[in-house]
Amino acid sequence: MRKVWAVIRREFVERVRSKWFWISALLGPVFFGGMIVVPVLFAGAGGTRRIAVVDGTTGAFGARVVAELRHGKIFRATRVPAGAGVVDSVTQLVGAKQLDGFLIVTDAVVETGTAEYRASNVSSFRDVAELQDVLARLAVAARLERQGVDPTLVGRAQLRISLETKKISGSKTTGESAAQSFALAYVMGVVLFLVITIYGVNVMSSVVEEKTTRIVEVLVSSLRPFQLMIGKVLGVGAVSLFQFVLWGLGAKLLLSQRRALLAGLGGVDEARQVFQMPHLSAATLGVFLSYFLGGFFLYSAMYAAVGAMSSNEQEARQAQQPVMFLLLIAYVSMFGLTNNPESTYAVTLSLIPFTAPIAMPVRWAASTVPVDELAGSLGLLLTGIVAVTWVAARIYRVGILMTGKRPNIKELVRWVRAG
Amino acid sequence: MSAPVLALDRVTKRFSGHTAVAGLSLSVPRGVIYGLLGPNGAGKTTTIRMIMDVIEPDEGSVRLFGERGTGRDHSARIGYLPEERGLYRRMRVLDLVVFLAEMKGVERRRARARAADWLERLGLGAWRMRRVDELSKGMQQKVQFISTVLHEPELVVLDEPFAGLDPVNTQVMKDAVVELRRDGVTILFSTHIMEQAEKLCDQLCIIARGRKLVDGALADIKRTQTGHHLVIGFDGAPGAAVQLFADKRVVQKVDDYGQYAELELAPDADPQRLLAALVRSGARLARFELSEPSLNKIFIDLVGPDAATPEARPQPGGPRA
Repeated sequence: MRKVWAVIRREFVERVRSKWFWISALLGPVFFGGMIVVPVLFAGAGGTRRIAVVDGTTGAFGARVVAELRHGKIFRATRVPAGAGVVDSVTQLVGAKQLDGFLIVTDAVVETGTAEYRASNVSSFRDVAELQDVLARLAVAARLERQGVDPTLVGRAQLRISLETKKISGSKTTGESAAQSFALAYVMGVVLFLVITIYGVNVMSSVVEEKTTRIVEVLVSSLRPFQLMIGKVLGVGAVSLFQFVLWGLGAKLLLSQRRALLAGLGGVDEARQVFQMPHLSAATLGVFLSYFLGGFFLYSAMYAAVGAMSSNEQEARQAQQPVMFLLLIAYVSMFGLTNNPESTYAVTLSLIPFTAPIAMPVRWAASTVPVDELAGSLGLLLTGIVAVTWVAARIYRVGILMTGKRPNIKELVRWVRAG
Repeated sequence: MSAPVLALDRVTKRFSGHTAVAGLSLSVPRGVIYGLLGPNGAGKTTTIRMIMDVIEPDEGSVRLFGERGTGRDHSARIGYLPEERGLYRRMRVLDLVVFLAEMKGVERRRARARAADWLERLGLGAWRMRRVDELSKGMQQKVQFISTVLHEPELVVLDEPFAGLDPVNTQVMKDAVVELRRDGVTILFSTHIMEQAEKLCDQLCIIARGRKLVDGALADIKRTQTGHHLVIGFDGAPGAAVQLFADKRVVQKVDDYGQYAELELAPDADPQRLLAALVRSGARLARFELSEPSLNKIFIDLVGPDAATPEARPQPGGPRA
């Protein structure tokens, strides 16, 4: 055991001593903070749009649309009566960048609820949502008035709803908003993905280094390959936990200074809302750390096996792609997981050991996961770790002493059997 | 007579479709320098790896210090320098030596003290906080040697210790081996350089294609393996003496130059009787010199010219023989 301990210490000390460790310790919180703030800043800060409203209505509907749009903050609208060639000429204005776009309204808006918006940028959710909102409200009002309802009554009836969201965790209301839930789930997913990959690759490089320098021969003549592999995984794992602690401290510092920082960034309201301290309960932290450790052990065992079957760094980088792909499945599903955390797909991903390390914490942050599902997922993850480590250790044992061509699947199976 | 430090009993190792070591038995007594000789691909490294428990033999057994347990179980008592010597390039020299000593079970604090001593002794004291990749090749070899002997092993196994060394470092390595033996350490080393083996080994084993050709004390091997080598110089015409060379019971091979002849005597022929016969024949002798065959000659005679090619190439991906 003392030898395993020495391996753990070597992996830890050598890594923590490197400057890359400290650079990533410093830049980590800044990077993740930026990852949350920047998209929000982009979404919020769109600037005003100059548009023309091509009015083909027979009543005053077009004028009302223009007035209502001017009322909002996003659009500077001018009314253009519809006529021959009008669409062509405003299209040219858009082309010449004198206009951002134009809205065509006809009586069809009120009758069937259809209108057309043409612009140089139609992918801005904010713009489209504002247009839809204005048109819908005016269309409803117009229809009601046509039925003889008093316009002032219509105005009073059209109350805007401001929806406040609070997540229920267990049976307690947490005061966590939808945006915060999402941000937490999102950050957890990204952090898990990055850290599992980075430190898994660390284990792999360490194996490859020992293999290419042949120092592994001296090592396995003194301790069993399994002890060496476990020492390596634990040592690198300890480094990653230490990295988390540093990131945690850094994040805490950043959050405590967030007002000053956000003021510097222009103090956008939405950003401030998302960037509030998310509700990080002990249970959430526990789930996060359990799945991080589970995922790390599962994947670093695989990365160790990949390192053992490659004879140099380039080969290892190629051979690791299937492993990386397994983890990517959960990563690319993250938006689906946050939007619909209770779907069969989400539940399945959070049960399969290879995807659970990302899928379950994301689901956990985005919704309330039943305890038996959590227990089942953890149990499967644990079983997965034992099984994968068993296979990986056998590949590792044979692989670290092999040189030459990378083994194919058939040879790998033989290695596992020979163990 | 104490139990041998190392005994191999009919050890066999096969890699897919190729037998690297076939039924090899040998015995290394305590306190000797033992040479494991063979051409490239003979199975030397595979044998050493089995001794070190890096790989397991398919058949047969390896017994160390006359006790139970594998090379790994006894690793604290064995120093091992593999053929392709590697170090962690980015580690500090002292840390590396201490780590490798810890792998051999030396307690950390003691390892630090001993490492500092050794580095100082081999002139690397000033380099101990430097990274390994800042060292010259010769210095790295010293570091490797230190890590092989730091835990004061009883048996030191060196795989091709002289390969790739310049003359100065070859000398340093040779001195180190001799000094270890003086301290009572048993040394097993493999080589295909016969000149080194001949000067260093007390005992040796020659293998080719995974099989043992001969083993035992160097002097015995020289005596038994080839007949005596004899150089005869005549003063004047040899006369009737030439007829003596034709006797196949006495002379196995003759290379006659007229005034000078090189003979190889039959294994059980007595050179003294040949000398007497020569004198009786009336020939005047200018020279009568018995010379031992060199180990190199024995090796080449035994191994044959084509033994350097293994029977079958190991499959790609298989370990080196």
